[in-house]
Amino acid sequence: MTPGPERRLEETDMELIKRWKSGDSRAATRLVGRHSQALARFAASAGEREGIEELVQDTFVRAFASLDSFRGESSLRTWLFTIQRRLMLDRRRAERRSRETVPVQESDQISEYGALDGLIAEEAQERVRKSLEALSPTQREVFTLRVQQGLSYKEIAEVVGSTEGAARVHYHNAIQTVKEYLKDE
Amino acid sequence: MNKCIDNEIQEVLPDLLHESLDGATRQRVEAHLATCESCREELDVLRTVRGAAVFAPVIDADRIVRQIPPYRIIVPGVEQPKRTRMVSWLVAAGFAVAVIGGGALVVTNQSRPSRSVASSASTTPSQPSQPETVTPADPIGTNAGTVADNSGQPHALALASAADLSDLSDGNLVQLMNDMNNFDALPGSEVEPVIAVDSSDSI
Repeated sequence: MTPGPERRLEETDMELIKRWKSGDSRAATRLVGRHSQALARFAASAGEREGIEELVQDTFVRAFASLDSFRGESSLRTWLFTIQRRLMLDRRRAERRSRETVPVQESDQISEYGALDGLIAEEAQERVRKSLEALSPTQREVFTLRVQQGLSYKEIAEVVGSTEGAARVHYHNAIQTVKEYLKDE
Repeated sequence: MNKCIDNEIQEVLPDLLHESLDGATRQRVEAHLATCESCREELDVLRTVRGAAVFAPVIDADRIVRQIPPYRIIVPGVEQPKRTRMVSWLVAAGFAVAVIGGGALVVTNQSRPSRSVASSASTTPSQPSQPETVTPADPIGTNAGTVADNSGQPHALALASAADLSDLSDGNLVQLMNDMNNFDALPGSEVEPVIAVDSSDSI
């Protein structure tokens, strides 16, 4: 029995990966189209201002080059987030080295992550932006992955290289901070 | 407003936002929300944060896909360097062996004629005890024997290149005996003169 059109539209990531491996380049287009905007939003939420499209592209190129190592134990999107996060960290390290700054402290990281100027226009967005800037880098990553991307704690732990318990604590602290900030505004 | 102490509900509020809860859990959370102002407020905060998603550029998926090499190219590309490296090492090793072996051969070939020349020039009577310096194909030895035989005169070259006493003519033997009588002492049985000449040649 051949799958109907609806079935084809709902092809899983693993099925698309299998098709791409068998030479169907349209499967790659579907995969990139399915996950690219989420990756771009994650990058923007994490404070990337420039070169987001290049970052997303690098993420996909790297991911497709090592798809054989993807076992499907986590979702493809989680895996992509993990790759992109590493690339973002590499970028920041490279920028830091190029600036030859002193060893980065937590407060410095916050100001670095807080480079969201000009990305949010509306007043509500501005308030949210400021509340996110009040978070530590890890809290912000965990919070945006949880609230904006809808990842589970297990997936978040995988992306940020932590444990589920630590992810829960980061989320709990982050939501308290954001709530307090938005209440005071 | 009292703070909600049901952490389990609070933890799954983002999942409610993303509609990823199963039916039973969703009903339980919605029932809780109906009576908990604190959780309703938190859900509003989450909606605000999610709605205020940071601007992100629209990604051109086709452009990205064009940068992705096909799978069939990637896989051999990953394995091929390993094979190429191995072949390269083998070639390099073979080349090294050839260079070393060839060099040794050249050095050996270069040192042999000089030894013969040195031997012939030295005219030491110890040469008959060193037959390895004269090869069967050596034209010098052959010619030397011929010259000695034809002329009937003892010849230093003949004495130096003769492999055995039986190869010497009577004249040569007489000459050899006379030379030995002139020596203060017989040279050592080792190849002392040859080593001395080789050393000076190499310098």
